[in-house]
Amino acid sequence: MNPTPTCSSCACGGLTLSGVSVRYRNFTAVHDVHLTIPDCGITALVGPSGCGKSSLLNAINRLTDLIPGCRVEGSILDGAGTELTDPGLDVLALRRRIGMVFQKPNPFPHSIRRNFEIPLREHGLARARVDEVMEKNLREVGLWDEVSSRLDESALKLSGGQQQRLCIARALALDPEVILFDEPCSALDPIASAVVEEHIDALRGRVTVVIVTHNLAQARRIADRVGVFWIRGGAGTIVEEGEVEAVFGGAGDEEARRYLAGGAG
Amino acid sequence: MASLFPASSTRPRPRRPGDILLGLAGGLACVVTLLALGWVLWDLVRLGLPHLSVGFLTGEVVDSGRSGGIGPVLVSTLMILVFALAFVIPPGLGCAIWLSEMVRQGSGAARFVTGAVDLLASVPSIVFGLFGMSFFCQTLGLGFSILSGGLTLACMILPLLVRTTLSALQSLPADLRPAAAALGLAGATTIGKILLPAALPGILVGITLGVGRALAETAALIFTSGYATRWPVSPADSGRALSVHLYDLAMNIPNGGAAASASALVLLVLIALINATAAFLAARWHRHHLAS
Ligand SMILES: Nc1ncnc2c1ncn2[C@@H]1O[C@H](COP(=O)(O)OP(=O)(O)OP(=O)(O)O)[C@@H](O)[C@H]1O
Ligand SMILES: [Mg+2]
Repeated sequence: MNPTPTCSSCACGGLTLSGVSVRYRNFTAVHDVHLTIPDCGITALVGPSGCGKSSLLNAINRLTDLIPGCRVEGSILDGAGTELTDPGLDVLALRRRIGMVFQKPNPFPHSIRRNFEIPLREHGLARARVDEVMEKNLREVGLWDEVSSRLDESALKLSGGQQQRLCIARALALDPEVILFDEPCSALDPIASAVVEEHIDALRGRVTVVIVTHNLAQARRIADRVGVFWIRGGAGTIVEEGEVEAVFGGAGDEEARRYLAGGAG
Repeated sequence: MASLFPASSTRPRPRRPGDILLGLAGGLACVVTLLALGWVLWDLVRLGLPHLSVGFLTGEVVDSGRSGGIGPVLVSTLMILVFALAFVIPPGLGCAIWLSEMVRQGSGAARFVTGAVDLLASVPSIVFGLFGMSFFCQTLGLGFSILSGGLTLACMILPLLVRTTLSALQSLPADLRPAAAALGLAGATTIGKILLPAALPGILVGITLGVGRALAETAALIFTSGYATRWPVSPADSGRALSVHLYDLAMNIPNGGAAASASALVLLVLIALINATAAFLAARWHRHHLAS
């Protein structure tokens, strides 16, 4: 059994969601989610398509602010007890602390170096330190040797798997406390997917990871905790939550148990 | 299992008559196009080239343009162009950015502004000329001047620049915006450092088209920058644009034909040079920034 790691050595914090709902105009996509995301662990969110997993992630880093008509209710507290749904919060600073990696790799159509330089400079890193931080994080995702000779070439020339690792390195470069992964491997072939998974696994103990995945075997391999989403009364919610072995070993919720059984083999 | 289609073989077979006909018609259309271009070029070169010399490019206009050169006209043309670009680029880019990035797509305000831009695009250039004369020359008191001409041309090519910049911004991958937002980038950084540089080739195309229209424009300039053939010393001076000079030589000056052809040749070369420069810059940019 993986004990839920609680760490005192690093600055990353957990998240506590209570009664979180996400509404698009008058359609409720997520209803009344309660979830504890421990610090420095890997929490997987699984569940069928369209049940609101992405909506919930976007509520955490406030990308929901960008969608006209989208409202988030309930409470999302970070490790320090700050209310993340507070309308007065500095969301740009929040998004530096809570990074995100998307399903489709989305490097900027500029050089690899610019992909780091733009966000790092934006958050106040001295120009002289950009290269050093870039190198450190590209090494972290095993990309340095592959790209060190072409840093000034377009990031779009990289393969899909390399682009996704670049996006992870770019998110890591901002020294976040939490990284939200929204199906980071589903646009990749099995080999690239395994490489990316390995690097996410290596983040354990360094940042708090929340990962949405449709790959139950993957959730079981890398997660410490799992939350199972299901539609209840027309809206998505978390019907089962806990340590990975406990949840996969026998969920209390009937539908969740049958769904998870599909991932046992 | 029986096939849906009659038995077919993959042996080569004679081309169908429809294909042959289409090929012929397409080829013929291309020949006609090339002939038209060739004829225009041939005529200009035949009549204009003998008249062309370094002295023609730098000399003063003598005898209403029958002899001498087009030096002051070239300088006025370039000055009008520079002012037109300086006045059109900021509002053109600003309006496109607002429409694409700041206002909600499909909202009333966005539809209203887009409609206004399209309406502006359909206004004939002579109307811009009259407007420029009454507003810039008279109301603002700028008189017949290079400045008035530049401002009038800026109004004329504004809708073109807004449209091309807008479509360049809108054809960028949609996921760049959430990617930037998720990294905590401010809106201004996203637009200035990510979206605009990525849309630059498209914007350059818009600017090039605008320059082409500006260089070709006569009607809007006759009433605003005027006819003067002196060397211009300041933007407040009246200055004759190359296309106006060409018009004057061809329409009003007996025996002006050779000088008109030479001026037209210069105009064509100028436009070709500007197009080539823009294409070169866009290609270079592409090589540096995008997938090969
Ligand atoms: N911008 C939006 N406007 C309106 N409805 C939306 C919007 N985004 C998502 N929805 C709706 O909210 C519900 C949840 O969508 P969401 O993308 O969060 O699901 P998901 O669990 O991430 O699905 P998937 O596994 O396919 O990615 C869906 O019914 C979807 O149609
Ligand atoms: Mg999703």
